[in-house]
Amino acid sequence: MNLTVIPLLIAALLMMSGDRDVETAQLMMTGNHVLEAHDGALIVGEAAVTIPGGAQVPGPIYVIGGQLIVRGAVMGDVIQLAGTVTVESGARIGGELQHVAGTLVVSDDADIGRRTSLDLTRAPGDGTAVRYLSGAILVLLIAGVGFLLTKKRNAALDNLAAAVTGHPVATLTVGVLLTLTFISVFVFMAMTLVLLPVAIAGLLAGLVTLGYGVIGWGHLLGNRLPIRHQRLSTVVGVVLVAIGIQLAGSIPLVGDLIVAAVLLIGLGAVVVTYYGVTRFRPAVLAG
Amino acid sequence: MRSVRPADTKWVPLVGVLAFVSLLSAGYYYNLTFVQLGLIDLGTRLVGMNPQSVSVVMAVFAVAAFGLAAVTGWMMDRRGWSSNLRVKLRILFVVIVVQTVLTVIVGSVATPGQYLAWVLAGAAAIGVGMPVTFSFMIDFVRVRHRGAVAAAVAGLAFFAAALYPLEWRIEKFAPVMTAVMIPGLVVLGVVAFRRFDFVDVLARQHERFGVGRFSRPHPVGTASFAFWGPLVLMFSVFFIDSLGFLRIIESPAYISTSWQSTEVGVRLFIAVTHIVGAAMAGVLYTVFDRRWIWAAVLALFAFTHLLYTFHLGTAPAGIDPPLALPLFYVLAVSFYTTLNFALWADLSTPATIGLHAGLGVGIAGWLASFLSTSLALYSEGAGLTLLEHLRYVNALALLLAVAFPLYLYFRRMRRLAASPGVS
Repeated sequence: MNLTVIPLLIAALLMMSGDRDVETAQLMMTGNHVLEAHDGALIVGEAAVTIPGGAQVPGPIYVIGGQLIVRGAVMGDVIQLAGTVTVESGARIGGELQHVAGTLVVSDDADIGRRTSLDLTRAPGDGTAVRYLSGAILVLLIAGVGFLLTKKRNAALDNLAAAVTGHPVATLTVGVLLTLTFISVFVFMAMTLVLLPVAIAGLLAGLVTLGYGVIGWGHLLGNRLPIRHQRLSTVVGVVLVAIGIQLAGSIPLVGDLIVAAVLLIGLGAVVVTYYGVTRFRPAVLAG
Repeated sequence: MRSVRPADTKWVPLVGVLAFVSLLSAGYYYNLTFVQLGLIDLGTRLVGMNPQSVSVVMAVFAVAAFGLAAVTGWMMDRRGWSSNLRVKLRILFVVIVVQTVLTVIVGSVATPGQYLAWVLAGAAAIGVGMPVTFSFMIDFVRVRHRGAVAAAVAGLAFFAAALYPLEWRIEKFAPVMTAVMIPGLVVLGVVAFRRFDFVDVLARQHERFGVGRFSRPHPVGTASFAFWGPLVLMFSVFFIDSLGFLRIIESPAYISTSWQSTEVGVRLFIAVTHIVGAAMAGVLYTVFDRRWIWAAVLALFAFTHLLYTFHLGTAPAGIDPPLALPLFYVLAVSFYTTLNFALWADLSTPATIGLHAGLGVGIAGWLASFLSTSLALYSEGAGLTLLEHLRYVNALALLLAVAFPLYLYFRRMRRLAASPGVS
């Protein structure tokens, strides 16, 4: 599963939760599907979904990846957040066709109730600048928290750093297991719509934990730099870790794996040290 | 006879570990494929019995295998065979001879009587083989390496079973198994009956690390809660797994994302996930207290069954289930199987490993798996729908997932209340 789909899934579910007519939702993550009929809302993840000519589905349909081909009729809205939507000749969308991002191809002969477009496209230069600026703000924010934590909870950061250096395999294992499980649990919760706020709160808590893990890495790296001022060393360490993650991410094939490993080791270290409250001590095995 | 000088013995422990991984992973692969799936295929398709009758035979198989495992384990401890590597190798040789013969003749089993005789002979071989093979852990694997070695065994066995055979037919599979078993049998026979100094070195290793992790500083008694508590938990996990697994892999809606899938990509995904899951379980077993491993296993099972039941109740027909379902199933199975391979040796000493392995693997592994498999077959034959069936499985999984943390909490509370200074 492509993890970048998850924020879009949450966004789709949030949009859906405001629609009183929606009682159930179906998520299609993989495979090729031809829908002759369907009840409730539909979310197209990384699947290829076709509504054939003559078929009629109620909608709404949220496209967060993959491909949607409409040859028949969608009585409600079609909202495209990513992926590809193709509305062929003779097809009908009874509600609104909302295009936010992704590739949209609409035949002139298609019958569209209403069509809106939120143009998020920017010139390439502007987009890169905005991305780097927002990334830099985020890194400075994390570094700022690192500065404060070094002042108030230096021992906690020492515990994180010790877990990272002393037990990378154990912390990576814990990080992978928790991330895999909790992302699935939160998506599962979000699909119930009733538990959507809990799912969002859980994801935010996960991101905060991930950020805390980055601070732990930054503290570890900063302590090895020739900087006397410890708080400053953590800040510089966090910035260097962020730059390292950015550079590693650009390495083909293994780059994403390296980034994931670094982040998950940090997350695992946070969990096994109870957010830095105690030093991680693995079981002692004699023999 | 070739002499091994002390300076040359550094490679011997590694040979022991490799032998253990090879024996156990091959044995477990045989169990997963030839026995667990083969018994059903043989009974229902080749012999032509109905699922209910096959379920009764499987229950007989489970009880017979368990009974023999317990008796064999008890005898091993009583006669000192548990700490005698050569005797154990010779017993295992006889067991594999019987299994090879049974594999060769499987194609000629045609009547219910022959089927029952074949099953009883198979139960005898497995019943004797279980405590013997599991007790090799004290001879071959250091305590600190048991998590990793158990992970290697579980991962390799499931990896192979997920990829081969792609199309299940016992009469086609038997010749392949025979071809693999005979060379292994020859090697085992030579090692078991001829004198090699490296075997003597291996045979003495249990003196250094035969006492398991949870048996230090005090040995775990067979009648103690420290032994029966994990045994009941493991029984429950095996029971729930087989109860759900058999119906899932035979349900048309889930075949495409299970072991029975015709797509190599799906089976490769399952196979690799088994390796990764087992590796994770091995790491967690090594570094954490066993309570956390149990908590992880039970939580994974409960969540997995919740996913399947939710999907079954809400997904429209004709849509392939997401791979997240088998992903979590495979993780849960890999976790508890790894735990099962390491646990019984770590709850034992060289004086108790026979009975502990016999009872542990016999009750928790075989009795649970086959009783629940026969129950699953019975429910299928009785016309219980998959959704209804999984609802019961789900209820059991959730019950365990809730009961276990509650037990830990109240145990802690009882200890605090009993400690001095608490009014």
